[in-house]
Amino acid sequence: MNQISDLITAFLEQCERTPKHIAFSQDDRQISYQQFEQRTKKVAGYLTGSNQCIAIAMDRGIDAAIAIYGILRSGNSYLPLDINNPANRLNFIIADAHPVYIIGIGPCPENINIDSQETQWLDLRDLLISDFSYRNVQIKTDAIAAILYTSGSTGTPKGVALSHKAITNFATWAGTTFNISQSDHIASLAPFHFDLSIFDLFTSLSCGAIVSFIPNRLTLSPSKLTQWLCDNKITTWYTVPSLLSFIALKGSLETRPLSDLKQILFAGEVFPTPQLIKLTTLLPNVNLYNLYGPTETNVCCYWPVITKQLQADKNIPIGIPACNAVLTIDKTTHELLVESDNNFSGYWQNGKLNTVTFKPQGYATGDKVSINAKHEYCYHGRLDRMLKCSGYRVEPAEIESIINQLEGIETSVVIGLKDITSGQRPAAAVVIKKGHTLTHIIKPLRQKLPAYMFPCKFTELSAIPLLSNGKVDYLSIEKKLTH
Amino acid sequence: MKPKIREFIFQELIFVANPDQFSDDDDLLEAGLDSMGIMRLIMFIEDNFGVTLPDEEIDPDNVQTLNALEKWILRHKK
Repeated sequence: MNQISDLITAFLEQCERTPKHIAFSQDDRQISYQQFEQRTKKVAGYLTGSNQCIAIAMDRGIDAAIAIYGILRSGNSYLPLDINNPANRLNFIIADAHPVYIIGIGPCPENINIDSQETQWLDLRDLLISDFSYRNVQIKTDAIAAILYTSGSTGTPKGVALSHKAITNFATWAGTTFNISQSDHIASLAPFHFDLSIFDLFTSLSCGAIVSFIPNRLTLSPSKLTQWLCDNKITTWYTVPSLLSFIALKGSLETRPLSDLKQILFAGEVFPTPQLIKLTTLLPNVNLYNLYGPTETNVCCYWPVITKQLQADKNIPIGIPACNAVLTIDKTTHELLVESDNNFSGYWQNGKLNTVTFKPQGYATGDKVSINAKHEYCYHGRLDRMLKCSGYRVEPAEIESIINQLEGIETSVVIGLKDITSGQRPAAAVVIKKGHTLTHIIKPLRQKLPAYMFPCKFTELSAIPLLSNGKVDYLSIEKKLTH
Repeated sequence: MKPKIREFIFQELIFVANPDQFSDDDDLLEAGLDSMGIMRLIMFIEDNFGVTLPDEEIDPDNVQTLNALEKWILRHKK
């Protein structure tokens, strides 16, 4: 195959090959490659300018996918907003990103404040009936395609900016490695602000596959979810371990073998090995892959699960380099450094791209790793305090900064408690000002933090315990929160 | 049974500012009960009350409130 370096060329070439083939399916609605292509052209025709940030305020689905491809075709970058975020976080991201447009369906919802003159709300339905003509836009390979906001260690979210080249490199690798073709039927569950969605949106449409959106309500009904995977003849699914654990334990897989399913890819957190063993036993003919990498590098390492190698009391490796990444381990800190064409271009801050200078060996992940006897990389936790909660990365500093803004709080420390199913749960130790009570103070917090960031436990301390060197004694805080 | 389940939910699964004021008809899912929480809750119920809750019936409707949860358990308790 010739070298394609932007997302739109790959998509348009596929549209020429299979115009009548279904691209996306959502509940009872289906859209062919040709119909999808025409709608994205309408959106692109309306959007003027180039290399600007355009936000999307829609739930994942066909309409949001139309908006994303339309934005990319117009030569701009898409920023998917998490519309379920509390208003303060949502509006922080909008104020930080300075999008020229926010595309939604219908009028602008009440929880979104557009203060600035430079941002305009657009209703996707108006764009689709507009008759602006689309002029072909040449997309530069290093132009920013996506801006994905993640939790930031400085206390506020930050936008990871990914170029067309970076996303294309991953999408092409995944298409080849997992042998995605026109006969594939991909299940999509990841919200578009989550980097797992890059596979669902771009690997899929460059290979001619069908993408079916899993209805949101099924995530709480494991048995109905596996029935849905069966009914929709799903061949490939990229998701998070916590949901796969739920399915392995409660998804009725004993009576529902999922005969069309070829492979499951998972990422976002460590898959607890006992649950993974259970899943491999229930789905013996399905290939499983552990994909690893922060949003900044996308997937840089992967491990095809070898059932024989699984031991209940040992974590699985993150495997071997992916996407032609060159991996280095720092000799003193054991930190993993990643040099890859997938690497992000910088952080989007205050309405513009702040390019980053990488170390000579690439992006420093903050993850501690080692290499085992089989030459596979193994993950050993973080060098800093970052947590993994329901597949999301969560910076304790972001939660602390929100807690500290509450009336009556002196200070707080957030740590992660290991969850038995997978990943971690944030928990908070707080010091309260005189005359206040914990239950009273915490009440407004629910409206300020996304559900996956909300501490599962609180404990009240008279002071934050410190070590003799003056640093916070996280271990003693953890003990207080677990007892 | 309900007080024990209540205690487990509010000590282990979700934090609410004032559990005493959380009624049996208040929405647990809105209060933060998610898929992992539901899984742990079902394991807790099965281990402690000698009941098996069928996989096919795990659904938001059956875990939305403490009252719904109790009804669901009682349907399977011999």
